[in-house]
Amino acid sequence: MDRRTALKNLALVIGSTALLPRCTSHSSVAHFNSFDVTYDQQSLVLDMAETIIPKTATPGATDLGLDKFIWLMLDDCTKTDDQKAFFKGMGEFSDLVKKTYNKDFADCTKQEKMALLSTFEKKPGDKKDAKPANNYSKELNGFFGTVKGLTVFGYTESQYFMTKEIVYELVPGRYNAMYPVKNNMKA
Amino acid sequence: MSTNTYDAIVIGSGISGGWAAKELTEKGLKTIMLERGRDIKHVKDYVNANKAPWEFPHRGGRTVQMEKDYPVLKRDYPLNETNLDYWVNEKESPYVEIKRFDWFRGYHVGGRSLMWGRQSYRWHDVNFEENAKQGIGVDWPIRYKDLEPWYSHAEKFAGISGNRDGVPILPDGDFMPPMEMNCVEKDVAARFNAYYKDKDRHFIIGRTANITKPLPGRTNCQYRNKCWLGCPFGAYFSTQSSTLPAAMATGNLTVRPWSIVTKILYDKDTKKAKGVEVLDAQNNQTYEYYAKIVFVNASTLNSAWVLMNSATDIWPDGLGSSSGELGHNLMDHHLGVGAGGRVEGYDDKYYFGRRANGIYIPRYRNLNGEKRDYIRGFGYQGGAGRDEWGRSIPELSIGGAFKDALAEPGEWNIGMGGFGETLPYHENRCYLDKNVKDHWGLPVLAIDATCKDNEMKMRKDMAEDAKEMLEACGVKDVHVFNSEPVLGRGIHEMGTARMGRDPKTSVLNEWNQVWDAKNVFVTDGACMTSAACQNPSLTYMALTARAANHAVEELKKGNI
Repeated sequence: MDRRTALKNLALVIGSTALLPRCTSHSSVAHFNSFDVTYDQQSLVLDMAETIIPKTATPGATDLGLDKFIWLMLDDCTKTDDQKAFFKGMGEFSDLVKKTYNKDFADCTKQEKMALLSTFEKKPGDKKDAKPANNYSKELNGFFGTVKGLTVFGYTESQYFMTKEIVYELVPGRYNAMYPVKNNMKA
Repeated sequence: MSTNTYDAIVIGSGISGGWAAKELTEKGLKTIMLERGRDIKHVKDYVNANKAPWEFPHRGGRTVQMEKDYPVLKRDYPLNETNLDYWVNEKESPYVEIKRFDWFRGYHVGGRSLMWGRQSYRWHDVNFEENAKQGIGVDWPIRYKDLEPWYSHAEKFAGISGNRDGVPILPDGDFMPPMEMNCVEKDVAARFNAYYKDKDRHFIIGRTANITKPLPGRTNCQYRNKCWLGCPFGAYFSTQSSTLPAAMATGNLTVRPWSIVTKILYDKDTKKAKGVEVLDAQNNQTYEYYAKIVFVNASTLNSAWVLMNSATDIWPDGLGSSSGELGHNLMDHHLGVGAGGRVEGYDDKYYFGRRANGIYIPRYRNLNGEKRDYIRGFGYQGGAGRDEWGRSIPELSIGGAFKDALAEPGEWNIGMGGFGETLPYHENRCYLDKNVKDHWGLPVLAIDATCKDNEMKMRKDMAEDAKEMLEACGVKDVHVFNSEPVLGRGIHEMGTARMGRDPKTSVLNEWNQVWDAKNVFVTDGACMTSAACQNPSLTYMALTARAANHAVEELKKGNI
């Protein structure tokens, strides 16, 4: 059990959420240029990123701080209207989690998280440009798409990925026009 | 003699300005090169050239603020955080678009030679002759043979890598060893060249101003593919890596950054220019510089601006305006049309290194007697590559297995985009808009140009041919793209002060001399009488070297 879940459980023991709204139970609000992000919102995005790029034998989203990258990109590189849509989608996502599992995303099991996020994805065998088979709103699908896109972008452009998972050389010094792919070779 | 007096003045420090400075100083002329923007020192000022991708806060992307600050640049790929400071400050230097015209400018020493695409192709006599044969615009006053030795001269010094392919329409040059096609490109080339053997279509490695062998002070290409950041190895041709050090080595060159040339000073008694007026961009003071000859290399549109802003009682519409053609016949290459697809197989093959070059398919339309429903033609640039990370596979979209799959090589794909010739239309033009002023209170350019029927018909072929050729080579899932053409987007502006045989219908003579002031030479894209479809910079280099040689000969003879 991580610290956040422990704190939440503690809050449940102390009193109902109605009496003690979540936002006051975690006062750590992050201030960005264009918006503020509550602790719960930060946790949600980090949890989603970690579900998409989990820690396995190699580092995951949390280890690599990908949530910080997501918020930076959302703050600096996203238009105001798209930011609004993102937060609207985020609200709908929280509702969806509640409706599906009757609890918060943070309290879901890994399997539940995976199952829920998979509803945003195409089915195996679907065509490249196929849309996922859900009836979610544009904002909700967009919210997931933004989190996933930035998580993957942040991961594949991270120093860890580029130096340990693939071989990025700042100065290749050569061009091998034909290079055999060996077993388990990385791109 | 005033300290502001030189033998030669060069306005602009980009590809052609750098060449003018090199040629003139090497021939012994004390030369001042005037650059409107800041200085950028070779290597030292390439501040982002050695950063890893993860060192850029937005990983090379663009912020909302950047899009606000660069409303023109944001329209296409150039706007990104890695070389933002190489692009003009759009607030300080606005222009007026009568019709949309994407004008991507670099106001600094080196100009766009720092960010250019580097593809370098010779012209063919077909390109020089078509205007006359088809009654379009005016005839070029020169032919291929006039430029051939200067192409060699430019190629040898700049360093162009390429293969001697023996393609009739695309003369071979004095090349450094070519870069190599990857395995998919090689196989596609073999199929392509077999399939189109009788149709004279060719699939070749690009010819690029990236050196594959060292040159003095320059290291061969290290396959970083970060050219647009400035190359610490000096491996691609730029003013900084190539012409500027050569010019400086003569001891004859003075470079003056922050120098906006506001006008060329015309002396009506001698019927020549006596110098230029400069507005210092930093202190707003005005200075005059004097010289025997003036080379105008401010880039196609800005060279026209300098000439138009040099109005006198005799030439109220500007120096070189007597024909009524100054500012007219603006051209570009129209692009944004082509095709791409997936290549099956080759899963066990990959490549290493980032090649700053692609493949080229030279023009094949309207040659050898063929007559389409349009005139002229187009070439394609493209390449094959393997998706690297970032691909997503439907079966594995989130989770640990997905994470691992991101590091595996993805599918092979191939794509190509056309570069089409734009005809010189008199009504495609730029002119001074005196109601709009820039940061320094100077009138700005209004640009009024558009693609017309001939270009639109050509684009149908550019799209359909690309699809047909890729499919003929076994490429799968071929998709075609054909966006609305926008002039300027090719960043190959040409025309506005065309060369010709008759002072009544052209601005420049066969030696790039302004008919109305023979000691003024315009040798950048402004001088172009037609556009062909090859990337134009190599031709500017050759024309500049040729004109500089002529200028010095004429000076010696006392003719100018």
